[in-house]
Amino acid sequence: MEKSKKGIDLDSLLKKEWSYTTGAVLIALLATVLVLVVGKSWGVTGVFPFWGGVILEKIGVNADSWSIFNGKLSKFVFFKKFANITNVGIIIGAFIASLLAASFKIKMIKSFRQVVAAVIGGTLMGIGATLAMGCNIGGLFSGISALSLHGWVYLVFIFLGAIVGSSILKKWFM
Amino acid sequence: MEKILDCLGEACPIPLVKAQKALEEMATGDILIVGIDHSCAMKNLPDWAREAGHNVEIDEIGEGEWDVVIEKS
Repeated sequence: MEKSKKGIDLDSLLKKEWSYTTGAVLIALLATVLVLVVGKSWGVTGVFPFWGGVILEKIGVNADSWSIFNGKLSKFVFFKKFANITNVGIIIGAFIASLLAASFKIKMIKSFRQVVAAVIGGTLMGIGATLAMGCNIGGLFSGISALSLHGWVYLVFIFLGAIVGSSILKKWFM
Repeated sequence: MEKILDCLGEACPIPLVKAQKALEEMATGDILIVGIDHSCAMKNLPDWAREAGHNVEIDEIGEGEWDVVIEKS
């Protein structure tokens, strides 16, 4: 991409990775606007159990009677959950950003190991985020930004988890 | 010597760790070409290599595909 005549560096804006500081400031601003407008802090994974619950109900399991749902599943409307709107927004936003950077690509699965790791990892992350009542967004980011102690506790343990996770990754994939 | 490391389809931080390992076994002046298609490797791989003092060049070879060319120094 060339620099436009007006002097805006489109290459840096659309194509190159932004600095961590730029990203952090933008996320903080957007998350603050979200709290001000919606009145709820940003979360991602809180709605995932509902997705699974809906699927289970469709195949005949009475998941709604489970204590985690307690009748809430039958009242679940996808776009009435705010996190679903932001989650869909994340996917659309990432898609637009990759198109603007001309770097959209459908990636191939490289090995069977990747599939195994993705399934096991995804399952563990889902269980973890549900038990912890939030992922690194709802539990960590929103927790710390709301000046709640639980965000800091989350930080310590997600860090320990990352150390264990990366050593498994190094052993298994290198 | 020139070595090609195919990391297409590998997610972070695998391309970085593989490149670090490969460079260890190479001699000064050797060229390592790492093929990546994970945009975050576009940041951490060149960042690390430059910090380690190597010469780095990035070639965009297609949509969402890059060759990170590292000359060991």
